[in-house]
Amino acid sequence: MYDNGASHPDRPRTDFLSRCVFSTNHKAVGLNYLWLALFSVFLGMAMSLLMRIHLVWPGMHLPLLSNLGNSPDRFAALTTLHGSLMVFLVLTAAPQAGFGNYFLPLQIGAREMAFPTLNLLAFWATVASLLGLTTTFFISPQPAITLWVVSVAIFCAASLLNALNFSVTTIDLRGRGMTLPRLPLTVWAWFINAILGLLIFSILLAACVCLLSDRLLSTRFFPTLDFIVNQPPGVIADAVPILWQRLFWFFAQAEVYVAMLPCFGLVTHLISTFSRKPVWKERLVVLALCGVGVFGFCVWGQHMFSSGMNPFSPLVFSLLASSLGLPATILLISWLGTLWNARVQLNTAMLFALGFISLFLSGGLSGIFLARHDLAAAAVSDDFVTGHFHLVMGVAATFAILGALFFWFPKMFGRRLNEPLGKIHFWLTFAGVYCVFMPMHWLGLIAHTNLYSGSRMAAIAAIVGPVRTFITFAILLTVFAQGIFLSNFLWSLFRGERVLECNFWRATTLEWSVPSPPPADDFGASNPVVYRGAYEFSVPNVAEDFVPQHLAPEQGAKARESGE
Amino acid sequence: MPGTTAVPDIEIIVEDIGGGGGPTPPPGGGDDGDGEDRDRRRKWSPTPRRYSTAITLGIVSILMFFMALSSAFIVLRRGSNVWVPVHLPLVLWANTGILLASSFTLESARRRLSLADLPGFRKFWLVTTVLGFLFVAGQLIAWRQLVAQGVYIASNQASSFFYIFTAAHGVHLLGGVAALLYVLTRKVEPANLSRSVAAEVASYYWHFMDGLWIFLLALLYLGK
Repeated sequence: MYDNGASHPDRPRTDFLSRCVFSTNHKAVGLNYLWLALFSVFLGMAMSLLMRIHLVWPGMHLPLLSNLGNSPDRFAALTTLHGSLMVFLVLTAAPQAGFGNYFLPLQIGAREMAFPTLNLLAFWATVASLLGLTTTFFISPQPAITLWVVSVAIFCAASLLNALNFSVTTIDLRGRGMTLPRLPLTVWAWFINAILGLLIFSILLAACVCLLSDRLLSTRFFPTLDFIVNQPPGVIADAVPILWQRLFWFFAQAEVYVAMLPCFGLVTHLISTFSRKPVWKERLVVLALCGVGVFGFCVWGQHMFSSGMNPFSPLVFSLLASSLGLPATILLISWLGTLWNARVQLNTAMLFALGFISLFLSGGLSGIFLARHDLAAAAVSDDFVTGHFHLVMGVAATFAILGALFFWFPKMFGRRLNEPLGKIHFWLTFAGVYCVFMPMHWLGLIAHTNLYSGSRMAAIAAIVGPVRTFITFAILLTVFAQGIFLSNFLWSLFRGERVLECNFWRATTLEWSVPSPPPADDFGASNPVVYRGAYEFSVPNVAEDFVPQHLAPEQGAKARESGE
Repeated sequence: MPGTTAVPDIEIIVEDIGGGGGPTPPPGGGDDGDGEDRDRRRKWSPTPRRYSTAITLGIVSILMFFMALSSAFIVLRRGSNVWVPVHLPLVLWANTGILLASSFTLESARRRLSLADLPGFRKFWLVTTVLGFLFVAGQLIAWRQLVAQGVYIASNQASSFFYIFTAAHGVHLLGGVAALLYVLTRKVEPANLSRSVAAEVASYYWHFMDGLWIFLLALLYLGK
């Protein structure tokens, strides 16, 4: 698939199976997660395309929708599958398990994750869950739902193992001198995210166990409405219908931050590196990342304003949800502060990081509307929510993933992605996603214009159709742009410009002190020692505009003398 | 003079490394880096402390799993007017006694180990393992007694919770029994997982299982 054995004679040349498939090496596992996410993201994207085309031209003969009976069930199944693939196997797996497995040990000066075998097990469990999720689409609805729940439960177990591995690795396997304040912010984000994952995936696992017991053992933890209606009053608790919602949203709202936290880390890292400036208020950023974790854990009720919960709780949840704005603002101000007066290197990785900021800001602003308990219940329909979370969670996180890919591609494969193609891909995608998701916000607001009198309402309703068609065309454009990315990716993998130097971007963290791609044992003969913080860019009186973490003070002094 | 202003920084940095925030280097594995290819991978061995960190975090995670189930229990219990309680079989109290006793024998075994009394350690460890199996058997007897009364998992919500709680706890406890058996029967002793570390990690988990059972029993008893 990729040749990294040839350039490093000390790497044992073994067969494909033991090198890639059943390797417990953290780099192999991380890459496998990335391949899995790449496959899933294109599958999920194809599904969204099918859905949009079906929405605009319902009569069209479409594969998957038409072959298997053109029923509303199929459309709902497509939505579910699109969501589960994108959220679980792309947004949760790629930034955390993919890049994290590859670069967390490298960045903290460890040579392996804490429990490599568990790591491999978690990966294969994730593959099993992907197979299960995909199979659900081709079988009849009732067994499909059971299979879906089983797959999600397997994914939870895999994520728990993964989170355990990440947190233990960060706590116990840091190299010499890698104190907590010197951790790169990517590592901080992965670590906080692992702790959060450890707490919330258990909740979803418990909910899945109850649901499976309902489906297979006919218990009634979450009884169906027609069952409740037929019971004498009081037998089934009044609270029943919202029990599932509570358990699910306890997981799912925090899951949003599980997808976003590593992206915050990645983006902060990229912005500092390509602004050639230290992260502005680095400690505050760490606190803000912790804050996202803590608040994100407490806002599950935000999705249940209209579920008949205690009338006081929406107020509490609304306050908590709004207080998420505090860490988000700190992050935003730190990014802008880092960019302030910087000599920004506008390569593709940096463009994606800046695009992330833009999307995060626009998506976050519509989030403020949704955090208001009165507004969210009264004035907002599905399309608004769809637009909001795709912009802030789906697309923004994807931008962070792409930025990280452009940044780390030279390290992972010893070649670099094509820059002009990357920039075309970026601008087309950037324009495309705004054209797709901004109009969705409008559609969501239009849906509630029944306050107006008849003629005005008709005028407003008349534009809904064209807007939907516009969105679908914008999606076609965006998917076309991903084709550019895919060809750039595959071409660069085999034919891209060779990168021979270790530190291609002149970055500071430890992974850039080893050859590209890194040898099997990462750091070679000597264990790395860390002497300084992760973001020493543009230090005064130093020859280069960066000081790597592993540079010993005496070497630094030598470099300074030669520079003067 | 720009060159001299930076010197204090360097001193601080050097001090920082001496004071050391990072994990202590693994015993025996120096960082001299003399570069013998064969020793290279052996030299870097992750600290054994990772096992106790992992079990602590794992316990937190398992606790969240049971908290989700317990909160569901509390919500459903409070919300319903007609709650058909499960009469807890008497054997449960015997089981509780067995599990509590096993925690004590486990600690006795660890005390023997710290005194380097290996036969004593093995004896008490074996007793603990047997008590663990007895507890699982006792739970199965409790299930059979309920079935004999006609109380099945799908009978009512209280019985569903009883079976789910006991089953989930039983599965987790079997994991603990497996850990006990591993410590008892293993032939080779990997360098980074000594007997005392393995015993310590297993004991954390076992005591947690013990405490968790007391909590679940109290929940089921008080929630009647």
